[in-house]
Amino acid sequence: MTAHLTRIKTRLSIHAHRKVRGLLEGDYAAIHVGRGMDFNDLRSYVRGDDVKDIDWKASARARQLLVKRYVAERKHTVLLCVSTGRSMAAMNDAAVDKRDLAVFVSGVMGLLAVQHGDPVGLVHGNSLDQHSQPAKSGELHLERLLGVVHGAIGPGSPAGDLPALLRYVVRTVRRQTILVVVTDDTSLSEDTVDLMRRLSVQHEVLFLTIGDLDPTLPSVADRRLVDVDAGVEIPRWLRRDAPLSREYAELVASEDLQLRRRLDQVGVVHERVADTDGAITAIHRLLERHRHARRR
Amino acid sequence: MSDMSVGWQSEDVALRWPWLVVALIALVVVLLVWWGVVRGGRPPAGAAYVAHATRLRSLPRYQALVQQRRVIGVLVSIAALVTAAGAIVLAGRVQERQTLEQNDRTRDIMLCLDASGSMAEVDADVLREFRTIVDGLQGERIGLTIWSGVAITIFPLTDDYDYVVDQLAEAEAAFASGDVHSDDYALYTAGTVIDWDVQSQLGDGLASCVQRFDRRDEDRSRAIVLASDNEPLGEGIFTVEEAAEFAADEEVVVHGIAAPLTADRPRAEQQFAEAMSTTGGSFSLLGEDGSAAAVVEAIGELEAVEIDRPPLAQVLDRPTAGTLLAGLGLAGLVLVWIAEAILAFRGRRRTP
Repeated sequence: MTAHLTRIKTRLSIHAHRKVRGLLEGDYAAIHVGRGMDFNDLRSYVRGDDVKDIDWKASARARQLLVKRYVAERKHTVLLCVSTGRSMAAMNDAAVDKRDLAVFVSGVMGLLAVQHGDPVGLVHGNSLDQHSQPAKSGELHLERLLGVVHGAIGPGSPAGDLPALLRYVVRTVRRQTILVVVTDDTSLSEDTVDLMRRLSVQHEVLFLTIGDLDPTLPSVADRRLVDVDAGVEIPRWLRRDAPLSREYAELVASEDLQLRRRLDQVGVVHERVADTDGAITAIHRLLERHRHARRR
Repeated sequence: MSDMSVGWQSEDVALRWPWLVVALIALVVVLLVWWGVVRGGRPPAGAAYVAHATRLRSLPRYQALVQQRRVIGVLVSIAALVTAAGAIVLAGRVQERQTLEQNDRTRDIMLCLDASGSMAEVDADVLREFRTIVDGLQGERIGLTIWSGVAITIFPLTDDYDYVVDQLAEAEAAFASGDVHSDDYALYTAGTVIDWDVQSQLGDGLASCVQRFDRRDEDRSRAIVLASDNEPLGEGIFTVEEAAEFAADEEVVVHGIAAPLTADRPRAEQQFAEAMSTTGGSFSLLGEDGSAAAVVEAIGELEAVEIDRPPLAQVLDRPTAGTLLAGLGLAGLVLVWIAEAILAFRGRRRTP
């Protein structure tokens, strides 16, 4: 069993990201709607904490900002919903697989929940079948879930099918969760949008999309690229063409814009994860935006 | 045989090594199939995967590039196949087999003319007749010997008809001048008389002419056209009968043409005619029925012996078609490559 969590923690604790780590904790704490009224303890303020939680008196005494921590009324379940089609087995950029990136963002979200004492569950699937893992607390369980995600993704898997996966969630998940959708869809069908609308009523939906490798990038010009869906090679001579590269970039940008618009219409906060370094920032932005969206 | 190539007849065009052609074609087919299987099969190992490439494929520029590539590919394939075809044809060595039929009519005809003064006109007539038929000859050899006391060879047996016609014309001009005392005549017949007491020896003349035939080992029809008035002066070595015997022994047919005046001397005419019949030839008096023409006719009837010589064969390489094909293919390849390079250069990123 590869230690996915260890790697994620290592990355999170890299000095440059230490601030971000605390920041994420604050963000995560703030997304809980049903915070209980029982005071638990005080901790120092980190960016992202709700200003309403600051204990001004205690802060004045301690000469530093402190926020009140409450014992949550009930545990919040984080449900990781990962589309594990074969397209996830492709490259994200010249260095990283989409699979690794998907495991990474799932791991970061899961870790936040685990550190908060919340149970983490998993739903994953492709066009052929969908599976679910029960929500449990603990890093060991999370590690196992990440292993499942990692194992489910391969070039030989069936194609990804987000609507089917979402329908599965609608069908099987009864309670309210924080639903973290990790997918690589480039556009959303009407069907998907309806499902998202339906799910966002029940759950706190966080939408993370993972990008694709631009085959016309000069950094991969010397590598052989195979379309994971069709199983055919994308010829090298073709990828060197400047007009094609331009057209592709325009198409990707317009599709991205389209996707954002549709999710905005539904009211689902979403973020595109460009690479591993950008993943933490993306999750931070996602959590922040989610809080603001809820306040609206 | 003045022009060799005319006689050569193309028999067939074939390949020297047809098995090589078959083997090379098989090799090309095997290579094509192998490429099709290997390249059209599973994706290459060590390749990176990329998803949602359908978006790339839907781009108009992609379609244009693929179309462009397809056209180039088809052209390159055609050019390569043409080149390969040319190379294969070259490898098989196209050869043309030519044969030279040697069943020419194998007749040797010696014109044997009495050069004594009384015969000049007759000789001119015979020569004129002969000149007209030389054009229709093929394979026959003609020779000209004139004699009086002694025989001299004007030209030996030859099938160089241009030369023969020239010589006959010259001889005719010399004889037809009519004046026996003219320089032309004297120069032309110089050497035929070494003793003025011995002239117009029909026996010696005929025997000399029989000796003029060469290639004795070959089975050829031999004929002499003998023009004379059988009016010998002095004593010769051969009598007419002996010479006729000699000709008959040598299987030479002698056709006699006697001058009209011979009729005045029945004994001489009789002797002449008998000698001719000894050899199986004809005898006629000139002027009574156009005898020169009759002689020519007789010669035509003379059996042309088909000798049993195998036809000459030569085998020539004919690389033109293969070279042309391969050259065309290569030129096509170069052109397509240039076009491809130009297209690729245009699409190249401005700042790599």
